[in-house]
Amino acid sequence: MILYLKLAWRNIWRHRRRTIIVISALGFGIMLMVFYDGMIAGFQDAIYGNAIKVLGGNIRIHAEGFSTSTKSYPLMPLTNDQQIVQAAEDLPQVVSASRRINTGGMATNREGAFAVGITGVEPEIEATTNPIAEQIVEGRYLTADDEDAILIGKGLALMMNLQVNDRFTLVGQTVHNQMRQRTMTVVGIYDFGVPSLEQKTVYISLAEAQTLYELPGQVTEVMISLEKIGQETQVLNALKPIMNGFESQTWAEAFPELQTAMETKNGAMQFFSWIIILIAGIGVLNLLLMAVFERTREIGLLGAMGMKPREIMILFIIEGVMLGLVGVIFGEALGIGLNAIFSVVGFDYSQYSNITDYMALITGKVFTSLALNSIFTRGLPVFIITILASLIPAREASRHEPSEALHYV
Amino acid sequence: MLQQFKLAFRNLNRNRRRSILSGLAISLGLALILLIAAITRGEMVGSIAKTIQLSSGHIQIRSSEYIEGKSSLKWSDLVADPQSIINTLEGSSPLNDLIQVATPRLNASAVVSSGNDSIGVQLLGVDPSSTANQPFVEGITAGSFLNQDDGNGIVIGQLLADKLQINTGDSLNLLVNTSNGDVSEQKFTVRGLYTTRTPSYDESTILMTLDKVQTITSTQDHATSIFILLNNREDADMVASAISGAGYEVLTWKDMNQLLLDTEELANSFMIIIYLIVLAITATVIVNTLIMSVFERTREIGILAAVGMKGRQILGLFLAEASILAVGGIAFGLALGWLVCQYFAKFGFAIGDMGINGEMLLGDRIYAILTGGDTLYLTILAFIVTMIASLYPAILAARLEPVDALHGK
Repeated sequence: MILYLKLAWRNIWRHRRRTIIVISALGFGIMLMVFYDGMIAGFQDAIYGNAIKVLGGNIRIHAEGFSTSTKSYPLMPLTNDQQIVQAAEDLPQVVSASRRINTGGMATNREGAFAVGITGVEPEIEATTNPIAEQIVEGRYLTADDEDAILIGKGLALMMNLQVNDRFTLVGQTVHNQMRQRTMTVVGIYDFGVPSLEQKTVYISLAEAQTLYELPGQVTEVMISLEKIGQETQVLNALKPIMNGFESQTWAEAFPELQTAMETKNGAMQFFSWIIILIAGIGVLNLLLMAVFERTREIGLLGAMGMKPREIMILFIIEGVMLGLVGVIFGEALGIGLNAIFSVVGFDYSQYSNITDYMALITGKVFTSLALNSIFTRGLPVFIITILASLIPAREASRHEPSEALHYV
Repeated sequence: MLQQFKLAFRNLNRNRRRSILSGLAISLGLALILLIAAITRGEMVGSIAKTIQLSSGHIQIRSSEYIEGKSSLKWSDLVADPQSIINTLEGSSPLNDLIQVATPRLNASAVVSSGNDSIGVQLLGVDPSSTANQPFVEGITAGSFLNQDDGNGIVIGQLLADKLQINTGDSLNLLVNTSNGDVSEQKFTVRGLYTTRTPSYDESTILMTLDKVQTITSTQDHATSIFILLNNREDADMVASAISGAGYEVLTWKDMNQLLLDTEELANSFMIIIYLIVLAITATVIVNTLIMSVFERTREIGILAAVGMKGRQILGLFLAEASILAVGGIAFGLALGWLVCQYFAKFGFAIGDMGINGEMLLGDRIYAILTGGDTLYLTILAFIVTMIASLYPAILAARLEPVDALHGK
């Protein structure tokens, strides 16, 4: 066996030029596929990343029994929320973990009554982590010691005819199911270009929510934002040991339709990527076939010297494996390197469209993801194709009649 | 020139399997990008068609005071006596031929209260007899659509019904904002459930007769807009400019769906890089195959050069080979791509709702649409990329020294 390996290795480097062509073809093909994967994942984050943050983060932690409650916004305080926040912030994938109170209520003024979701946030933390803080078009974001201050969306401001410093009545229910009514002053208006979504949520400071809804020092939710979509499972697994008495909800569970949309898109992209592998596979097969024909004389010589057809075949397969391995490693390194560069530099698409001007949730700049999983989804299939592709020429090589092959020009 | 093509054709024919595989790589590459383009376009065309049917129509006539997204019920923001405007439109013969249907509609915001929950919804007042309601009538899943003089009936989305756990025949309490800022509360009976296959729309839209919405919101004979569908949407600009009237604003589907049209533009610019990646992979296959074939035929090229063929002619020979490959591959790729697109145009790709955006209404299925423009553009792109890729091997062949080449170096 060692002899075959040695022989195969020498054969590969004896035809240096041809080997370099095969390896560069493999490498270049894989590099492009890895880049494709990185781009697709990057699009996903550019289009959905901010939306998920605004809709409530990648992961939310609630008290046990939250999901089975009949209410849309049950006020169920968490018992040890600081522990969850600490543990989450220690994880590398976590961008931020913040404490919140979520409840439903009604905003009323002369224009009428409008159902809204009320979210109490820690302004000192979310001012830097929530995309909404960057989309304030009038006034300012909340601060920790705000009193009777509220941040509303432009959609709601339009419907209720509100400007900064205007007041309206916010009706809600305390944890003991008592009606709680309060006149709030608008301190800021956010706008991300989706009126229907902006109509649905108003923000107040956590301290204020705790007083209003009688939850002193308590919260009903820990919201965790991650670096990238798709890291939810890893993070949840890491948090598992301390999840007693808590339940978790990912954005995908909260918005199944969003997940379906994303999965369908990914499904289509996966389907496309299999065709891409097929194209690359054809290239590999072609090159290996050519490599064998070029070496017909050499094979004849091996045969004439007493190497059996089966042994010749093994030799060619080993060569295929070696070429495949070197090419795949080379390509993955190039591709991941390319993705690493564009994950920092980014592609700026905003110039092609003015959608980013008024659809603030969509980022015009796409940063590729590293696509490390492409080692398995790309590298492995191409490697297998290389081996399969080397089988056909290997079989043909082993079948040559030595005397004929020797005369082949 | 003809000579070179003859020679090129013979060379390709000599290595039939290799030529077919190379051509196949081009075919698959082209077919793939055609499919990607068709699905991207289908997604956008489908969502625009759906938005037109459900919410925007081809043309809307509104009060010039009307502010988008505000859903105001002030009389000055509404269209007074819409029926007389419609009568005028239908009385003018050139317009009447272009217009399929024109009907008044009134939007109002309301709150559904059930148990401890309150959910914000949009009321849509429609003329039950109008054919513009077709998408709802066809989408009835239980019960029946509204009757002309149904004073307390409503039709709600299947999803909203599931959320509230109610069925046809059940009653629902609605708090409706009125034109003077009061809120009027009334119980309604659910006559039917509908689905438009657009979760975000179905979850938040309740249908009621126009008369009833006018009564409950005290807007008398006013409507938010006159909703017009045309026989051909390309006539929109012409019809819009023909409809004139003091105090009215006439909007076309293009004005109202700017966001969608811009999204399409952004999606297309995203896609260019995907097309180029796919074509680059195809090009890798072609380049390497051609380079191999240059090396394999070094002696042959040497002979050609020795008998007086100029470098330029050898270059032409290889380019002729590449162009035959490209044309053959593209022809087959077009046929393959067209067939696959036909399949997806008929059966569609399943997809869920985008979920984040009420303005972007997407169906749950994408039908591929292959346009002549896309086909032409991508075919030319594929040909150019293939030809550029084959330049290097062709130059390599043209630069060989005759004497060295004869020795096979």
